[in-house]
Amino acid sequence: METPELIPPALRARLGELRLSARRALGGQGFGQHHSRSRGAGLEFAQYRAYEPGDSLRLIDWKLYARSDKFFVREAERDSPLTVWLLIDATASMAQGDAARPGFARLDAARTFAACVIELALRQGDRFGLIVVGDERVHLTAAGQGPRHRDRCLLELRRLHAHGQWPTETKLRPLWEHVRAGDLAVLLSDGFDEAAISLCVRLATARREVCSIQILTAEERDFPFTGGHRFIDAETGAEVLTDGAAVRAEFLERFKAARAALGARFAASGINHVEYFLDQPLDAPLRRLFPARAARFIPESA
Amino acid sequence: MSLGLLLPIGLAALAALLLPVLLHLERRTEPRATPFAALRWLSMQSRPQRRVRLEELWLLLLRLLLVAAVALVFARPVLFGSEGGRAWALVAPGVDVAQARTQFRDPNARWHWLAPEFPEIDGAGSAPSIPSAAQAQAQSKLQDQSSPPPESQPVLSLLREIDASLPAKTALTVFVPAQLDGLDGERPRLGRDIEWRIVPGTAVSARATPAAVAPALVVRHTADRAASVRYLRAAAIAWHASEAARMAAPMTAPPARASRLKPLPHERDATSAGDRQVDIASSAQPIPATARWLVWLAPGELPAPVRRWVEAGGTAVLDERSVLADSMPLVAAWRDADGRVLANYATLGGGRVIRLTRPLLPAANADVLDAQFPARLRALFDGPSPPPQRALAAAIRPLAGGRTYAQAPQPLDPWLAMFAAGLFVLERWFASSARRRRAA
Repeated sequence: METPELIPPALRARLGELRLSARRALGGQGFGQHHSRSRGAGLEFAQYRAYEPGDSLRLIDWKLYARSDKFFVREAERDSPLTVWLLIDATASMAQGDAARPGFARLDAARTFAACVIELALRQGDRFGLIVVGDERVHLTAAGQGPRHRDRCLLELRRLHAHGQWPTETKLRPLWEHVRAGDLAVLLSDGFDEAAISLCVRLATARREVCSIQILTAEERDFPFTGGHRFIDAETGAEVLTDGAAVRAEFLERFKAARAALGARFAASGINHVEYFLDQPLDAPLRRLFPARAARFIPESA
Repeated sequence: MSLGLLLPIGLAALAALLLPVLLHLERRTEPRATPFAALRWLSMQSRPQRRVRLEELWLLLLRLLLVAAVALVFARPVLFGSEGGRAWALVAPGVDVAQARTQFRDPNARWHWLAPEFPEIDGAGSAPSIPSAAQAQAQSKLQDQSSPPPESQPVLSLLREIDASLPAKTALTVFVPAQLDGLDGERPRLGRDIEWRIVPGTAVSARATPAAVAPALVVRHTADRAASVRYLRAAAIAWHASEAARMAAPMTAPPARASRLKPLPHERDATSAGDRQVDIASSAQPIPATARWLVWLAPGELPAPVRRWVEAGGTAVLDERSVLADSMPLVAAWRDADGRVLANYATLGGGRVIRLTRPLLPAANADVLDAQFPARLRALFDGPSPPPQRALAAAIRPLAGGRTYAQAPQPLDPWLAMFAAGLFVLERWFASSARRRRAA
């Protein structure tokens, strides 16, 4: 593979300590939450679909073949109690990175987080799906499970490009059809789009489990600019021509206040919110969002 | 001491100072475009200050200095009115340097010969290489290492030259022997008050004194002038006879010529010697290399070999019918009793020419038969007697209050050019090392 691994080996080694979990108890979802990874999982029939090359022969419904002289694969809904949706912000602002570490933008961090969560879900037998929002539309990869679906999702992740703006409300409608109550949605975004935040708040209000990792650059935290700069917002194209040192103190103050306001807003909606800066280790936000079972009930400090 | 510019318009090159400044101006006028998504928390009020920024200030300073130095070289700076500096001691040739040094004890003085180009006197004051007065003689001095080159310029001319070329404040001390040669009619009047010291020594004169012994007379004639030859032969014999008589009896007065009928023995010797001393031949014969005096009795253009011989320093008496291509100023050299010009002086190259106006025959020139003819002829060859040039040094002590001359300003551009070259090397080194540092 010519592109680097989405998950660095050191991070992959530490994934074993993490565990995806929903905070709310889910009623009426069958027996245990995470005990449905057995092979005979297809208890609840879902659909027939045409045979595709590559499907295992054992999945073919031979009785149906005898009747219709066609290969059908019988698919069954598994009883996984948890479905994880990765809600990835792919607007243009996600392409921004630090000058100190070129080639590592917000979107790269988001990819890695998404891959980690997918890895966790796969290990627990949970279903996972991908919702990429950007370029004024929503690209949705339906929830599924298994290594094949993981690979499909990883392929999608690799194709991601940060481009365009957050779409309008109507374009987000398919999202509501897929993300059902009780599902876990993980927002990977910079948190600068009001529409994204309000979407999360509404999801949380509608009984979806929502987590949020706000991916920020170290430059936004420290504002190391001096001299004349032409600051450009990639999404709107707006420009601010100003002197870095002169506006630093005011920006830091206002930005900190904005972050605090966002944290408070998410907390009020019951959203697990974590900030991540691009110069921090990648496992820190995951560790805080998805602690191992023993540490599960330790209150979040964020 | 003041600084001046010979070509102030050269300072217009200072406009080139703009060049390095422009080169060093930061070329990035547009602020860097920085993608920044958190734009809405950025205040719009403060505009970036537009400051003039210069890159690599030290290199810029070096370059400015270099350009300024080059512009100054164009303007040709000079230094007016240099200080007097060290005193000068001038020693006339023939003066004992060691004695002069005992009289003048200025350790900083610059010792020079009073000779053309004013060569420096080498050797310390009491160095053994300087001969003492006892053993010093004019001959040995000429061979000595610390002696000046043979003088050809008169002493007073040299004095005036050094007076005009030295700064007005420089003290000048001149050591001269008791007798000075090569003077002119006027008592020198110099621009400064010089110290005039008379030291024992011999005056060295480069002026040629008339030959004590007459050289061999060479006569070249054509057949039609054969009649003149006998008078010339007689004159030459007379010269040598008188010299032989002077040598034989220097103390006795020459006896009266009329009182004796028989030639004296030394006169007979002189006659035979005179035959040896006179070289008479046809004009077709070449002139011997040792010849100094020539009588050319042939009509027509002077042949090229003869002409070359005269130009090389010979003295020739020319027949009245010979033709000399170049017309030269002629000075009457010989007049008869009636005041008619019998011969003229002229110069040809480095030699002299005496042009006869009449044939050397009694019919045309009665002086030929005169008893004074040999002496006349001798005087013709010796040339006009020079004016008196010798005087006591004490009598011609130079006067002060003469004309002073503005000193030639001292040019500074060689030093400035060297400074600029040094700056250039420094600038190159600085620029290339800075580039290397940037690349690394």
